[in-house]
Amino acid sequence: MLIANRGEIAVRIMKTAHEMNIETVAIQTATEPNAMYLSSADIIFDNTEDVSEIPVFLDIEKLIAIAQKSGANAVHPGYGFLAENAYFAQKCIDNKIIFIGPSPDAIYKMGNKTIARKIALASGIPMAMGSEGNISDEEEAVKIAEKIGYPVIIKAASGGGGRGMRIVRKSEEMEKMFIIASKEAEKAFNDPSVFIEKYIENPKHIEFQILGDTKGNVIHLGERECSIQRKHQKLLEEAPSSALDKALRDKMGNTAIEIAKAVNYHSAGTVEFLLDSEKNFYFMEMNTRIQVEHPVTEAITNIDLIEQQIRIANGEELLLKQKDIKLKGWAIECRINAEDVQSGFAPDPGKIMMMNMPAGANIRVDTGVREGSAIVASFDSMIAKLIVSGKDRKDAIKNCKLSLDKVWIKGTKTTLPFFRMLMRHQKFQDGTFTTAFIEKDLDKFYLNSEYEEMLAAWLATKLFIEENLSDDSINIDFEHGKEMSPWLLNKRLNQF
Amino acid sequence: MTSDKLHINKLYALSSENRKFSFSLPLKQSIRIGKRDYEVTLKSDEKYGTYILWKNRKYPVEIVRSRQNKYEILFNDISYTFTVETPFSLQRMKVLNSKKSKSDKEYIKAPMPGKIIDVLVREGICVSRGEPLVILEAMKMQNEIMSPVSGTVVKVVAKQNTNVMKDDLLVEIKP
Repeated sequence: MLIANRGEIAVRIMKTAHEMNIETVAIQTATEPNAMYLSSADIIFDNTEDVSEIPVFLDIEKLIAIAQKSGANAVHPGYGFLAENAYFAQKCIDNKIIFIGPSPDAIYKMGNKTIARKIALASGIPMAMGSEGNISDEEEAVKIAEKIGYPVIIKAASGGGGRGMRIVRKSEEMEKMFIIASKEAEKAFNDPSVFIEKYIENPKHIEFQILGDTKGNVIHLGERECSIQRKHQKLLEEAPSSALDKALRDKMGNTAIEIAKAVNYHSAGTVEFLLDSEKNFYFMEMNTRIQVEHPVTEAITNIDLIEQQIRIANGEELLLKQKDIKLKGWAIECRINAEDVQSGFAPDPGKIMMMNMPAGANIRVDTGVREGSAIVASFDSMIAKLIVSGKDRKDAIKNCKLSLDKVWIKGTKTTLPFFRMLMRHQKFQDGTFTTAFIEKDLDKFYLNSEYEEMLAAWLATKLFIEENLSDDSINIDFEHGKEMSPWLLNKRLNQF
Repeated sequence: MTSDKLHINKLYALSSENRKFSFSLPLKQSIRIGKRDYEVTLKSDEKYGTYILWKNRKYPVEIVRSRQNKYEILFNDISYTFTVETPFSLQRMKVLNSKKSKSDKEYIKAPMPGKIIDVLVREGICVSRGEPLVILEAMKMQNEIMSPVSGTVVKVVAKQNTNVMKDDLLVEIKP
């Protein structure tokens, strides 16, 4: 099996592959020739000579060639890169390589958001009101927005991951936002087309994990709540969600299954919904790949999703039935990224100098970096995913709080202070947070106690003394002269 | 002690948010909370690097930058900037600050290294607080750099499709 990916997900996929006795091929790149994921592979394909601008993980022709050269008869795309590229999936099939994922047709239909909307509409799936297809210009945008009522959200037709999305609250903003969204969509997805939907204020983000086989069996593995996000980028996910009871879970889960069946879905997939404060849910999109946050589902179902993907791709029938799926306990995933929470989550690339992660029965760490690894600006900023479980939500939060204090990373700033704050936040603890939490409910993105600041001040003072003072006397060069007398200093000050 | 040296018995660490922490000299290896003194130790080893041990817990520390009396310290993944002042330099600083006229322009700088994707304003136009000025791409994320004030754009330094470093000037705004 060729792993057409890097980082933690490459490590994750290879772990299951080894357990299944499947030989793996990983690609070594010039950008990170000593990356950790290479240590997990049986065969390393050396692609370090390739210095083209496009990463190999996005180069369809080259990946097919690598699969053929290395003798791989299957490709796992992971997430990101070509994971949701229908053309890549088709190319694999054309070259007799098993693509571990859904059919190119399902990827295409769900990848194009306007087509996905039409399919969902035809199946009677609840959805936010919106444009029927793509919007051609800002005038049409204004017209439709007036019809469905502000606020509206402009979304990229080929989008995902929050890019190309803009919320518009009044018609005066439409022109500017339309242009920004369209430009961003073109840059990110090579497709400037956008559509409009009614913007649901302060919803919760609830998604359902789906598994389907090639025989038409589809089941759901319960939900994940991913409402803790910033600019549509998820930071923390948990399973299950405190907002759902069994009745709502069954209803939403069955809806997710219906959507999957509408495109003859096979493999693992995720159906995303928005849940409003009245517990109405709306279909948002379907992700046709393994998700970053899949470990929380694995933690509460005890099902290896990568194994299921591989078995399904191999044509095996799904042995799990809906009644076999039992959700047990609670799991939380914190995405520890190289970001500076004090500068609005700005990326903080750098070299990991030191890394100690906690371990234990309730703890799982998925990572693709180790001491000495570099977090490079050309890839994402993820250092590790910390997945912590408990018997219920309260217990999981308690365990997570303890685990976070045991994470020790030096070399870059991380999102750890954000999670430390989050675990202590009332709204997080009581589960009433929505996707607006970070923007609206927080005045500070991180935790620091006054004692911590005092200890830092103590250290600064200690350093100052070591560098400047001897015998309790001042030795600092204030301006030009050394050991300037206070009288002279006063005299100078008076001249200002 | 010689007479031309100043005897000082206190040092102040001023945070960038103007909080003042005072420490008596010689510096104690403990910090008093309420009525109890808690021991503070600065340590370093192979597994953890440099850390501070306080109340039986290790806190990672890093000296990010130090210049003259200014120190940027990373403590438990949070950075703090302090200037360490003596009673005299503190007095001097107070006098200086009172004489310094307030800057009349707002300088918008790049919060991170990246590439300018788009410049949304030009010189002479009025912007309101929170309005996006520049779109900066870093690590595959497009970040809108917003105006912190309402005012007139007096200078646009940012150019589309160019790379910028952290703290590079992008736009000047006169409130």
